[in-house]
Amino acid sequence: MTINENLIGIVGAGTMGAGIGQVCAQAGFETLLYDISQEFIDKGLARIRAFLRRGRERGKLSAEEENRILSRLSTSIKFEDFRGCFLVIEAAPEKMDLKREIFQKLEAICDAEALLATNTSSLSVTAIAGATQHPERILGMHFFNPPPLMALVEIVRGEQTHPVVIEKALDIARRLGKTPVSTKDTPGFIVNRIARPFYNEALRILSDSDADVQTVDRIVKEAGGFPMGPFELMDLIGIDINFAVTQSLYQSYFHDSRFRPNPIQERMVLAGLLGRKTGRGFYTYGKD
Amino acid sequence: MELAELGQEKGFAAALYDSGEPVPGSASLIIDTHAGGEEVKKAELKRIGAEVPHFSLILSSCLGFATSRIASWTSRPEQVVGYATFFPLKEKKVIELSAGLRTQEGAMKEAEALFRALGKETVWVRDTPGLVFPRILSLIINEAARSLDEGVARAEEIDVAMRLGTNYPQGPLRWADQVGLDEVLAVLEGLQHETGDDRYRPAPLLKKMVLAGWLGESSGRGFYVYDER
Repeated sequence: MTINENLIGIVGAGTMGAGIGQVCAQAGFETLLYDISQEFIDKGLARIRAFLRRGRERGKLSAEEENRILSRLSTSIKFEDFRGCFLVIEAAPEKMDLKREIFQKLEAICDAEALLATNTSSLSVTAIAGATQHPERILGMHFFNPPPLMALVEIVRGEQTHPVVIEKALDIARRLGKTPVSTKDTPGFIVNRIARPFYNEALRILSDSDADVQTVDRIVKEAGGFPMGPFELMDLIGIDINFAVTQSLYQSYFHDSRFRPNPIQERMVLAGLLGRKTGRGFYTYGKD
Repeated sequence: MELAELGQEKGFAAALYDSGEPVPGSASLIIDTHAGGEEVKKAELKRIGAEVPHFSLILSSCLGFATSRIASWTSRPEQVVGYATFFPLKEKKVIELSAGLRTQEGAMKEAEALFRALGKETVWVRDTPGLVFPRILSLIINEAARSLDEGVARAEEIDVAMRLGTNYPQGPLRWADQVGLDEVLAVLEGLQHETGDDRYRPAPLLKKMVLAGWLGESSGRGFYVYDER
């Protein structure tokens, strides 16, 4: 069994998996998109096709390029097909047991030289790797949503990740057209952790009645120069998603008050006011 | 200093005074820009209140203290309005203002009129240290300083990650250098002091850097090193 230095495998064809697969195919890599059912794969492929079609319609890529990118994508519902990949990126749901099982299976199938990466945003890379025989070749490659548009990739070194593996991953991320930053395996890595106060403190200001939603967003944009206010951004991300990230960090830091979630978030999630996707969050949106 | 320049540009008879310098008794409007340092700020406000008995407005930086607290240090708390802004003022369209519990409407109207004359819009928010934007940014900077201190990533990487990963206009550590680490620390200490909430406790690195005089661009060194100037 030889390793194919141009073949990247993706576990999971959801929003992140499909997006990362698209990034790989666009950068010229043969890309194998895996999911547990053909239905999930078809959904992922449809998302990639729609994205590329919009790009072509806006004149960002030619029909020829679009076809070339699509021709580099293959799909499978069989794990054994990852054999031969020089890199596999896992983008399965954020469940520790599931991810540990996936990496045990990958380890049994893939070449000893292959890099095995998780796209987790909230779980510990060290903990995922802990279930394997060779944790030194396991690392985090955290892409941001939507992967084809966001330039950053956090390259996460677990406690046991080998430095050479990190160097290789940094190089691969650059070849994917991304800007990588290297980070330790601490909860939330860099971005999700440091961005927490942007939301948490805005919520605190609101719950203390120090200022209302519109005032906070206006000040943050017009005095702070941010492209979006915290409440607009929470509505865009989804208040449920944002709340889940905050809860995850709060638990990971053993209830440090810096990360304490706000009752407003929970109330809105329970009420089904999740932001743009439900038509109402901190703001109300028209039906379009 | 930025405020005085802007005032002179717009035709005000604005003058700058250092701590302890006598202020003419004829002044009607006094702006106090001390962010932190309770003893100095308190002494200055007392002194100025005595030297300028007929002031109609004291506009005082409430980065590090609630406006009600600042007002309690003056002889006429009714005339005190707090403002909170981070350097540079020039690019800001909006200035945040806050009234203390005893602030009178006349002083509020005068503060609004002043900033309007300087070409700025004003927004009133409730009385807390740092108001809205300096408060949110200071907490982001605090978390970035903690991450740096813990060895999560290097300063450049933290700044790149926040710009590219979540579209911040600047990386938080570079931003802190521009604002001044002492101002950021003043907001955090003010919030910690006024609320008693542990979430505001400043990163030890931030405290040490302020003590070392590494305040950012203005002192030639902060999270980054700048050319001698």
